[in-house]
Amino acid sequence: MKDDRKRSWLVSLALVAPLVLFLVFFFAAPLYTMVSAAISDPIGARALPHTSAIIERWDGTSPPSPEMQTAFAEDLRAIDDDQLFGDLVRRLNSAKSGFRTLMPKTRNAVKADPAANDLVAIDERWSDPAFWQPVKTATASTITDRNLLAAVDLERSTAGDIQEMPEGSSANRATLIRTFVVSLSVTLACLLIGLPYAMIAASVDGWKRQLLLGAVLLPLWTSLLVRTAAWFILLQDNGLINSSLTALGLINSPLPLIFNRAGVIIAMTHVLLPFMVLPIFSVLIGIPKNLMPAAASLGAPPLRAFWNVLLPMSTRGIVSGSLLVFMSALGYYITPALIGGARDQMISSVIAYYATGAANWGMAGALGLVLLVATLILYTVYLRLSGEEQAKR
Amino acid sequence: MQDPFISFEKVSKSFGTFNVVDELYLSISRGEFVSMLGPSGSGKTTILMMLAGFEKPTSGKIFVGGRQVDALPPHKRNMGVVFQNYALFPHMSVAENVGFPLKMRRMPRAEADGRIKRALDMVQLGTMSERRPSQLSGGQQQRVALARALVFEPEVVLMDEPLGALDKKLREQMQLDIRELHRRLGLTIIFVTHDQGEALTMSDRIAVFNHGKIEQIGKPSEIYDHPTTRFVAEFVGETNLIMGTIKQSGDGRAIIQLPSGSTLEASAPNLNAGTQVSLSIRPERIRSGKAQAPANILSGTVRDVVYHGDHLQLLLDADGHQLLVRSDRAVKAPEAGQKMDFSFAPEDCWVVAQ
Amino acid sequence: MNGLNVAKVVFGAAIMFFLLAPLIAILPLSFTDSVFLNYPIPAYSTRWFNELVTADVWRRSIVNSLIIGSGTTALATVLGTLGALGLRNHASFWSLSFIRTAFLLPMVVPAVVLGVGMQLMFARYNLTNSYLGVIIAHTVLAVPFVVINVLSVLQAIDPRLEQAAASLGAHPVTVLARVTLPLALPGIISGAVFAFATSLDEVVLTLFVAGPNQRTLARQMFSSIRENISPAIAAAAFVFIVGTIFVALILILSRKSLARR
Repeated sequence: MKDDRKRSWLVSLALVAPLVLFLVFFFAAPLYTMVSAAISDPIGARALPHTSAIIERWDGTSPPSPEMQTAFAEDLRAIDDDQLFGDLVRRLNSAKSGFRTLMPKTRNAVKADPAANDLVAIDERWSDPAFWQPVKTATASTITDRNLLAAVDLERSTAGDIQEMPEGSSANRATLIRTFVVSLSVTLACLLIGLPYAMIAASVDGWKRQLLLGAVLLPLWTSLLVRTAAWFILLQDNGLINSSLTALGLINSPLPLIFNRAGVIIAMTHVLLPFMVLPIFSVLIGIPKNLMPAAASLGAPPLRAFWNVLLPMSTRGIVSGSLLVFMSALGYYITPALIGGARDQMISSVIAYYATGAANWGMAGALGLVLLVATLILYTVYLRLSGEEQAKR
Repeated sequence: MQDPFISFEKVSKSFGTFNVVDELYLSISRGEFVSMLGPSGSGKTTILMMLAGFEKPTSGKIFVGGRQVDALPPHKRNMGVVFQNYALFPHMSVAENVGFPLKMRRMPRAEADGRIKRALDMVQLGTMSERRPSQLSGGQQQRVALARALVFEPEVVLMDEPLGALDKKLREQMQLDIRELHRRLGLTIIFVTHDQGEALTMSDRIAVFNHGKIEQIGKPSEIYDHPTTRFVAEFVGETNLIMGTIKQSGDGRAIIQLPSGSTLEASAPNLNAGTQVSLSIRPERIRSGKAQAPANILSGTVRDVVYHGDHLQLLLDADGHQLLVRSDRAVKAPEAGQKMDFSFAPEDCWVVAQ
Repeated sequence: MNGLNVAKVVFGAAIMFFLLAPLIAILPLSFTDSVFLNYPIPAYSTRWFNELVTADVWRRSIVNSLIIGSGTTALATVLGTLGALGLRNHASFWSLSFIRTAFLLPMVVPAVVLGVGMQLMFARYNLTNSYLGVIIAHTVLAVPFVVINVLSVLQAIDPRLEQAAASLGAHPVTVLARVTLPLALPGIISGAVFAFATSLDEVVLTLFVAGPNQRTLARQMFSSIRENISPAIAAAAFVFIVGTIFVALILILSRKSLARR
């Protein structure tokens, strides 16, 4: 009996195992890798072991001691791996510009002369504590909150306190706010269009309902790229919309509809509208059809019946739909990347830029983490709501 | 009784702390038709499932043909099972369904085809072999399921409420068909049902289940005419129950005193005077008018007369009891409010345990 | 009341127009003779469909999409079907909502986030710039569709059918092969179709993981819109839309065959 149950468990486990392992390796592990890229900072300690031990005792403001310089020179001589050296330069340069020229020059000099331990003699900049502070922070620890702070435009001062980045040096906070605003606008647009549409679809039946729902489902099934391409073509300066408006004599010069926020909101509303209509519709058809006549028979005029009866009962669908649309909009990449303006980028485009353009994995990871956490919180709320819904039934 | 073919020895099955089957002992001979009768949740289906191998007993042993089978997986048990909803494979034709067990036994094609044909002819579906189950009526699906369970000549056929989904007329026809097959093929059949009429019509023996235990097992006539417990008396057929106390008993008879003071004579095992008992009298055993002794005679008032077509049902108030009487149409119908006498023989009223 | 009805019709029609017009408007442009994606169309021709199958970048991207799509379909269908079979026996233990939550996560996590992580991790195992890497990435997104589809069909199967097969002498493996899997086939097919469609339309993970040799049709459309838009896009879109309708028909037919039982 017990063996039997154990066997059935083992069989089930063996069947599920490939799937679970696959998702652990290729779904969970990449996300973990991204998060660790955001907070890990191993280069300094790995490339500069001697410096790391000595610079610890440095107060951060006094002129660099000869021991620090000797240790640093020794570490530089020991680096044979050009890749590691390149990573180190990038790491230091990201904290203070100037290292990109300073480091190769210093490395060449100390390699040429095994006795050259006076770095200030090689380059004047080594007398400036401002060039030693990044070395100290880079070697101090293998994890860092630098990227996470930078993701919201914060940094640590030389004293280690969190402070605002200087004005104009980073635009991440602006990007986050912009992403939020665009997502909210798209959600509102979807709600304004989707709620009445779902109500109309729920109020009719037969072929009319099929037609209305089909119009929502067909775009949903169509390739996202096709829909985006269609909007790209329609919204161009000489696209169908502008040329029709010109031909009708409504405008003289084309409306700027593409590569700006208006275009993004129009196209994203089109793409995400089904996610608003379908949840609301499914709640609405669950509401007994005779409620509105009942309200009317009790003396409620249509608008009040709608406001007091139908709307409260469809709240759940509205909230679910809004959460779905907002959540999807936050992380949307393709549509904003193709239709949005270069100066009006959303967070996903910035992440993609950091990852593929700038090879700054730390920043890509940190912004990715912000987006991931926001999405998961919204998803949890969404699950709570739909879970309660099921429990109620 | 010959050596039992199937036997359950102290078999229990529990789900969590709930005992579905409780220390069951049951022996069935080869060729017997045994019905398991009981309300839903009484454990009868679980017993069938254990015999078929879909459930494992929590404790106890099950033997079939002298071999212990409780550790055997279902596909090695060689039992034909007919399920409540027929469980025909929807993606196979009728012939493929019936041929499935033969295929599993790697029977040569030609031999299998002959068997399939004979099995389908036996259930009068020879012309339907290429149809899909969904194209058949409920009764036809039932017969395919029967053919499929019989075609590989299993030692035992288990039927789990096989006629439950059919309408009354078809059900009665199928009852006769199954009984006929049972006789002709000499099958051992275990038949689970909650329909007492079905059990009475078809079985050699009936086991009445309640709360995971057998209340009574015996021939249909024993179960109906001599129920030993109140549950059996009430569950099988309609009955009148009269409470009373044993005044004296012996020789299979007892004098019972009713609360009103009058006494009745009934068939009974030997019981101590003063024991509280119930008397069971079937409505059709009560005659109107005074009969010759030895008979119990009561008088009462007719409360209601219900017309049933082939008979009348009278509702009587007598001695503080309400009694149901099945009255022949030949007798002139009494009217509500009328006072009348009625009687029943001591051998027709039966003392059952409380 | 009449005014309300008119308003309903007008509003419904307007939104249907908003939903469908862009898809319809792009179709005729695929038959333009011009190099511009504008109306009015000066002359009709099939030159852009020609371009699609003859121009090296387009042809290779179509071949790549088919290779990667088939690989994804195979991998996702096998993993997802096995997983669904395993989950099914203990569905009550795991509880369906937990399964849904856990296995839908790949669809919820923003693709860009997953893409960054995959690019970083795949680089360590030399999976970037390889077909296998792209197939794996697409499978992560596709496998939930298979699990959900197959699981829902499996749960609709009456367990008594499998008991019946066992009682008729079928070994558990035979029961699986002859009863369970044939009955689950419609779900497996629709899962596979969803997996293929997911792979076909995937851009973001492809951007991060694929190299120039694994450029898929969707990826090619993406960069073509971004860098050098031509009516070949409309032709590709035409192929996609026709493909969508074709796939929808397959799904509807397989559902119907299920319903007929």
